Amino acid sequence: MGSNPRTVPAPMIVEDWDQLTFRVNREAYRSAEIFARERGWVWMHTWLYLGHETEIPNPNDFKVRTLGGRPLIFCRDTAGEVHAFLNSCPHRGTVLCRENEGSTRLFQCFYHAWTFRNNGEVAAIPDAGAYESSDEFRASMGLRGVPRLETHEGFVFVSFDPDAPPLLDYLGDAADYMTMIQQQHAGGMTTLPGTQLYSVRGNWKLAVENAMDGYHFAPTHNTFVGYLRESGYAVTDDNQYAYNLGNGHGLLVLTGHGGRISMIWEPRFGEDERVRTEAHRAEMTQRLGEKRAHYVADESHILFVFPNLLLFDIEGLSIRQLEPVAPDQTDVRAWQLVPRDEDPDTRALRMKTVVSFVGPGGLATPDDIEAYEAVQRGIQATAGTAAPELDYSDMSRGMADEAKGVQGRSIDEGAMRGFWRHWIEATGLDDGIEVNGERPASFLAGRDVR
Amino acid sequence: MTAIVNRGAVRCAGRTVTRQEVEDFLYAEADILDHWDYDGWLALFEPGARYEIPTTDHRPGWSPHETGSFVDDDWDLLNARVKRLKSRKAHAENPHSRTHRLVSNVRLSEGDTEDAFRVAASFVVHRARDGHFDAYVGWYDHLLVPTDDGLRFRLRRSLLCHESLAAGARLSFIL
Repeated sequence: MGSNPRTVPAPMIVEDWDQLTFRVNREAYRSAEIFARERGWVWMHTWLYLGHETEIPNPNDFKVRTLGGRPLIFCRDTAGEVHAFLNSCPHRGTVLCRENEGSTRLFQCFYHAWTFRNNGEVAAIPDAGAYESSDEFRASMGLRGVPRLETHEGFVFVSFDPDAPPLLDYLGDAADYMTMIQQQHAGGMTTLPGTQLYSVRGNWKLAVENAMDGYHFAPTHNTFVGYLRESGYAVTDDNQYAYNLGNGHGLLVLTGHGGRISMIWEPRFGEDERVRTEAHRAEMTQRLGEKRAHYVADESHILFVFPNLLLFDIEGLSIRQLEPVAPDQTDVRAWQLVPRDEDPDTRALRMKTVVSFVGPGGLATPDDIEAYEAVQRGIQATAGTAAPELDYSDMSRGMADEAKGVQGRSIDEGAMRGFWRHWIEATGLDDGIEVNGERPASFLAGRDVR
Repeated sequence: MTAIVNRGAVRCAGRTVTRQEVEDFLYAEADILDHWDYDGWLALFEPGARYEIPTTDHRPGWSPHETGSFVDDDWDLLNARVKRLKSRKAHAENPHSRTHRLVSNVRLSEGDTEDAFRVAASFVVHRARDGHFDAYVGWYDHLLVPTDDGLRFRLRRSLLCHESLAAGARLSFIL
């Protein structure tokens, strides 16, 4: 960036409504320049998912986390307020907190013993008399907080851009799907310890595409689908839809892939769970009304909140956070979000069921990871080719329906197209998209779920 | 884990089980897994047995039923896992990883029930796949049952010493 000549090709995306094709230049997954642009534009200016407030339930709790390569302290101060500080001593830059998690009132730098309260104030500077005007100096040396921090339904977001729009404006229609998660149980939801921390050899956008791509489910997860069928559950791709929610956020609505713990019973959950599910379902209808309870309980949702949050509201509920490390490497962190007041047998069933699908040791996620790692290796084949028009990936599926105004299916690629259109804006690649022909009037078919 | 007493033998189900017998069992299992004999592996479990891999941030005392895990297989899932791995549609392991296992520091102690005893052991599993070579280091925390046909797993648990799973190191094989 800066004064260096740009080397990424233009356009990155070719969208053609005459040919009904949508193609993404594979440099998007490979280029160091694109990666630097994403760090500088997307990760520095949009809202980023930091963590869930139930990860630090008590005063003085803290976790460390990295967003956009920046080490952060995610903590609750002694008075109970949630903060995100740069995990770096204001004095000389040392990583201040070198534990992954814990409880403390004070963070002390081991290098020169500068000490800070968990609300960011300086607590002690050894030999402070050596500094002139020490009171002012001291006040200027508090922990550096992130410019913005807002919470929606327990999900804590930060922005490194002080001018970011209010979080709820940014989330738009995605916000209500997060509210639906919170509404699933009267007692609310909480994260559990036991975080799946793993890394993949693939670009972060491949992880987003994979989550928004129902087309891969049957072939990639053939063995898992087989397991579901054998355990007495019909699996289907029919009547499942994909939605663009604006600002790059996407949603898959799934009704045919597995049951939902405490919402939709299936034989592999056992008879006791059937009784508990019926009772919970009745309570939901009472609390939320018939229609809202239907949308909250009877369909699975995979929600993507641009750029780094995926909520898998399927059999159980997994929060997945993406942290790009390099063009071809992504750190993934996944937490289980569960009802705070849950029957122990249901909880055990939930954990077993969720883990059987989701995570790097499950029966399905490893095949997803295999898929996007294989894309990352395979797209080298057309890099720098003499026929640059071959160096594109195709995401046209479902455009014919989209042109006719028919709601896109989960097995189409419409949600991925919505992601890429927003990615062009978010990366500031103004000449990054070439549109041929007439775009349909509306990509945003809202859903009336209230 | 609670402290493991380093014993040469343990009394269980009315007989004495020696460390050498347990070591032979674990070495045989390593050989079976490294040769991708998954039917042979499943035969080392008693019906109803479990297979668990806690997450890398696991702390002693955490129950897999109340925390996130990498693997939390009951008997049905364990069978489904084996069936899946034998399928050529288990894409994450097709072609298969090459693995090589070292098992060491074997220690025996009493179990919580009369008919089972605990085994702690260290492992190093090397795995080659996709042009990469990864090492997995940790310890086993197993419950074993002596039977007329030899030892069997009641619980097979692998605890990783890693801070997280490195890039490409997903657990699509048996650890």
